[in-house]
Parts: sequence; C-alpha cells; structure tokens
Amino acid sequence: MDKLWVVITREYLERVRSKWFIFATIFGPVFFGVVMILPGYMTVKGMKNQQVSSVRILDATGTGLGHRIAARLAARKDTAAANPLQGRSARPVTEAIPTEVEDVNPPKLAMAESVATKAVVDNLSPGYLVLDSATMTQHTARYAGRNASAVGQMELLQEAIRQSMIAARLENAGIKPERVDSLIKVKVDLSSVRLDERGRGESGIVNFIFGAVVAFMLYMMIMIYGQNVMRGVLEEKMTRVAEVVMASVKPDILLAGKILGVGAVGLTQQLVWFGSAAAFITYGAVMSKAMGVPEMKNFAFPTVSPLLLVSLILFFVLGYVLYSSMFAAVGAMVGTQEEVQQAAMPVILLLVSSIVFVQPIMLAPSGTLARAMSVIPFTAPVIMPLRMTAMQVPPLELIGSLLGLAITCWLAIWASARIYRIGLLMTGKRPNLQELMRWIKYA
Amino acid sequence: MTEIALDILGITKRYGEFTAVRSLSLAVPKGAVYGLLGPNGAGKTTSIRMILNIIAPDEGTITLFGKPSRDQASLDRIGYLPEERGLYKKMQVRRVLRFLGQLKGLGAKEADRRIDEWMERFSLKTAEKDWGLAKIDELSRGMQQKVQFIGTLLHDPELVILDEPFSGLDPINAQALKDTVVDLKKRGKTVVFSTHLMDNAERLCDSVCIIAHGDKVLDGTVPGVKAEHGGNNVALALAGGGGAELVNRVLRDHTMVERVDDSNQFFEISLQKDADPQELLHRLIEAGAKVQRFELVQPSLHQIFLEKVGATGVEVGMTGHG
Repeated sequence: MDKLWVVITREYLERVRSKWFIFATIFGPVFFGVVMILPGYMTVKGMKNQQVSSVRILDATGTGLGHRIAARLAARKDTAAANPLQGRSARPVTEAIPTEVEDVNPPKLAMAESVATKAVVDNLSPGYLVLDSATMTQHTARYAGRNASAVGQMELLQEAIRQSMIAARLENAGIKPERVDSLIKVKVDLSSVRLDERGRGESGIVNFIFGAVVAFMLYMMIMIYGQNVMRGVLEEKMTRVAEVVMASVKPDILLAGKILGVGAVGLTQQLVWFGSAAAFITYGAVMSKAMGVPEMKNFAFPTVSPLLLVSLILFFVLGYVLYSSMFAAVGAMVGTQEEVQQAAMPVILLLVSSIVFVQPIMLAPSGTLARAMSVIPFTAPVIMPLRMTAMQVPPLELIGSLLGLAITCWLAIWASARIYRIGLLMTGKRPNLQELMRWIKYA
Repeated sequence: MTEIALDILGITKRYGEFTAVRSLSLAVPKGAVYGLLGPNGAGKTTSIRMILNIIAPDEGTITLFGKPSRDQASLDRIGYLPEERGLYKKMQVRRVLRFLGQLKGLGAKEADRRIDEWMERFSLKTAEKDWGLAKIDELSRGMQQKVQFIGTLLHDPELVILDEPFSGLDPINAQALKDTVVDLKKRGKTVVFSTHLMDNAERLCDSVCIIAHGDKVLDGTVPGVKAEHGGNNVALALAGGGGAELVNRVLRDHTMVERVDDSNQFFEISLQKDADPQELLHRLIEAGAKVQRFELVQPSLHQIFLEKVGATGVEVGMTGHG
C-alpha cells in the first residue's frame, strides 16, 4: 500500500509540475468557452441571414389556418421584443419567422408548390409550409426549405401549427375568439415545461448544449488521459526504467499506481475547469453580450440532479479505468514511439465510435441505437451520461449499463495487467493476437 | 557454518518450447562476492529476474535470507542494477533517487540525507554545481550510470545484484565499480553479479557459477574450481610472439597439447593428461622458440570457461583446433 502511494505520488506530481499540464489547464476553459459560444454566435448570424425573406405558407385547408399561424408567429415576435428580459417567455431570436400566406385551392396546390420550390431554389424564400386537408384530419403538415434541418425553427413552426389548430378547434367548439387567445396564451406558458416526444422539455436547448458538452468532455478526458497512461508505460519500457522499478514493486501495483495517479491529474484539471466554469457562468453574460449572443442572457446552468452527478463521476471513473488499462496494455506491447499510434488505433476507434453517434442519439435518446450504445461497455461511458442529460433513463438500464461496464473494467484490468507484466520486459517484434493470448494465459 | 544469503533450489523457466533455465541450484553465502558466469543467452538475466521475483520460476524455490523470495520485506533488502539501464529522462535527479529509495521503503528525509552523501562521494554535487537539480537527460552517460548505481545502493541493501555491471563502463568508472564492490564486501554485504568477462570475475569473486544454454556447468569457490580443473597447465610467453612455423607445429601436436589459447604474445596451454611439461619445453627450444616465461599454473577461469562451455560451441571451430 505504501508503495502504491509512492507510485501514485510520482505519477501525479511529475505530471502536475509539467508545462503541458499548466498550459492545458489554463487554456482548456478558454478553448471550451470558444467552443460553447462560437456555435451560438454562428447560429445567430446564420439565422439573421436566412430571415431576409419570408417563409411562404400555402394554405389549402380553406379554414384560414395559415393566417392564424402567421399571426401567431408574428405575435410571438412582438412578445419577444416586448419582454426581452423576461426569462422563459422571451425565447431566442429564432422565434421570429416572417411569413407570407397564400390561400390555395386544393386542386391548384401542386402547381403552387412547384412555384414555391422555384422560389426557394432561386433564394427568394428560405422555404414553404404546406397545409392541406390532411392537416386538419390527420394532423400532418409538410415543410420544404433550405433550413429544414434547423431543429429550433422546425420545432417552432410545429408549435405554431399545433397551437393554431387548437385555437381553431376551440373556436369551432363555440368559444369566443378573444377568449381563445387568452386560453392559448396560458397554454404557451404551460407547454414550456412539457416533455415532447423526444423527451426534451422547453429548456431543450440548454440541455442540448449541456449534454453535448458533457459527452464531449468525457470523451476528451478519457482520450487524453488514457493516452497519457499509454505514453507513460511506453516511456518506462523504452527507457528501461521498468525493470528497476519492477524489482521493487509488483507490476500490478505499478500499473494501478500509474492509472490512479494519472486519473488524479485528470480530476485536478476538471476541478480547476469546473471552478472556472462556475465563474464563467457568473460573469459569462458580460462576455456573451460583448460577442452579441442574445441567448446567453437567458442561459442558466441546467440543474444537475444528485443522481446525474453521481452517475457522471461513476461513468467517468469506470470509463477512464477501462480505456486507460487498454491503453496501458498497448504501451507495454510496442517498443517504439512510431509503433504506438498504430497499435493504439483499435482502442482509439472504440472510443471514437461513441462520439460519432452523439448527434443521432441526442435527437432520439430513447431509440434503439441510443439504448444499445448506452449498454455496450465501450460506448456506455460517453453515451449513457449523454442520454441521462436528455431524458429519464429507466433505472434498470442504468444499473445494467454500470454493471456491464464494471465487469468489463475488471476483465480489462486483469488482461492488461498480464500483458503489462510480460510486455514491459519484452523487446523486439510487437506480438500478434495469438502471442498476446499466450501472454495473457501464461503470465 | 556460514549463513546463506541466497539459496536457489532447482529453478526452471520455460518460454514455450524454449527452456531458458533448467533446474539451476546454487547457494550464495552471506558476505560473499559471487559471479554468475556464462555466454550471452545462457540464462543469467532470466535467473536474476527470478531471484528478484520479477518473473516466476516454473519449478523450484528461491530463498532469500531464509525466507521465500516472494516475501516483499526480503526483496526490499536487495539492490538491483539491471543490464539495460534506464531512468526517467525528464525527471530531476534527486526526485528519481528519492522515488527509487522510497520504493524500497526509505523515508523521504532519510533518502534525502543519503542522496547528498552519495552525490558528494561520486562528485555529482560539488561547491560549484549540484547535478541533483538537473534533469536526467541533461547528464552525461557516465553521470547517468553513477546515478543509477546510487539508486541501486541508496537503501543500503544486504544483497546487491548487478547484471553485467561492467558493460558500457569506461576504465575509470569500471575501477570505481570494482572499488565499490570490494567496499561492499568489507561491510559484510553480499554481492552477486553476472558477467561474461572472466578477468573481472577472477579478480573479484569468492565463488562462481558457470551456466550455459540454461544449464549449470560448474560452481564452487574460485580456488576450488581451479583446483578441480587444474593439472597440466602451462603459461608460456615467447619473445617476438608466435608465428614461427616450427613453434606452431609443436603447440598443435595433439599428442602433447590438448588445447592452446593463443594470444599472440602469450599462450595458455592445457597439456594432455600424461604429457610431461619438461618435454614440451625441450621441444619448444628445439624448434627455436625464445622462451621468456614458462610456468606451470592453475588454469584461469577463462580457460576453464572455454574448456567447459566452448568444448561443444563455436569457440573450438574458431581457434582452428577442430
């Protein structure tokens, strides 16, 4: 135990003292700050450009729904402009979508659509919305345009359509138009805490950003510090210091000390970053204003439940241990710096595979892909926390995922320790898979 | 009876089909300087790694100071200098040494005190310059070897194991190493070192063990081994060196000479069992050799080594004796 402590201390202090660590710790938050603000900034800029011309509404329902929607979108813009500081009701500028309504006879709809398509192609309009008989009966509407993938805008359109239809129904049911409007307004406020079918509430954007940042941070930390362990092992092997050290401590203790020491460095860095993130959120509004990002005015750090926090830590620790022990085995297998990147490729790809699917999983956090990847131990450390920021994950899935990860961790440590024990003293050719199996068997 | 510091009983290590060490047994008395001799690839390093519990033997037992070698407290009483030396390149010298000391159970303060002592002794710390504050890779090769050696001895080990300690040392450092080994012995420490340089072994060792191809060839005290393998050995020195055809013919006459180690100026000759050394001297003078020295001697370790290990190896072919 004393020796483990000696190893941990060395690994920790040597890294924390290094220039690299100090540099990364100071500039990491700057980097993340830019990464967080820049997309918002770009989105706002891009949004403004797209809103030069208006969205065309082709209304073939004959019920005046199109005008209702247009009015609703315009009204919102007014509200947003009137109450810029009022938290929830003041939505981002993406709210304001200028529209022009065209009432169309159902038989002529196809022709009107092709005209609208041409307008989009010619860049005269960002897109058009089609309301037909199916809108009233089957609750479907179609949107076509250049900005069809803009999640925020589509969500908004959908919302406007929905509310307009409700208003129409209420009026059909005999409620006076003035009353309807006030009723709908109440509805708007209520819907701000509603969970939609994607499992996200109205604070979706904040959660969206938070989820992405969490997933990206986890991925980065595991990648950076996992490879740090690998380089440490390789250094000990290449400089031959491993043999001196192994004459004093068991290789398992050396490996454990290295993983724990480097992990502690990662936690130290995260603590520094977390502290500066808190400062950023306190003073961030000033910064954001300077950059002209209005959303940030309403940016509130999402409330993190104790369950989420504990899970985050658990997934980080287990994910880090899993990957760093695999990286350590790679470091012990190879003999040169040149070889190591190539040999680490399979492990890196395993880790990358989790970040690749972040976007689809954020859009459908309860889908099959999301569920599968949050249970597979190699992607779980990134994907499960991501899902947890987006939705309530069933407890059984969470426990199963953690359990599977813990078991895989144990297996990885066991196999790595064996590869490590033999590999550290080996020189020459990198072992192939068959030889590697023999190492594990005979160590 | 002398106390045994290291007792090895029938250890075997196999790597798949290849047997690196085959049932090796040896005993190193406390306070002895013990040489583990053998050609490259004989299994010396593997044996040493088994003693240090870095790798586990497939069979056999190793006892350190009367306890199984898996006992960590016993292992901490060993100081080890591996053949392939290395230190953390980017780390400060003092911190490396403190780390190595602490791994052997030294307290940080005690380690610091001893580091100062050793650094001054090896003139790594002088009034002008304290190399302890430099990073390892700022040191010259010779200095790095000194630091490595300090790391081996910092915790004042009872048993010092040196794997090929003389390889890569310049004459000055080699001399310093010899002095240190002698000093360790005087202080009652046990030293085991491996080498394939017989001259060093012969001068330093109390006892030796020769291994080849994983097998023990012989072991015992140096005088004992020599006596056992002694007999008809002649040390011969010729003025102007060998090379004269007639002289060579005499030296290669297998009815008298079993083998000869020709070092040009100097010859070490093993005579056949019943051959008469006087007869050889007579023949040499007849052949016109200018004898400067002709002495009946015990064989050198080198000679014994060649005879025992090289008898079936490449060395015989190389000397042209067939």
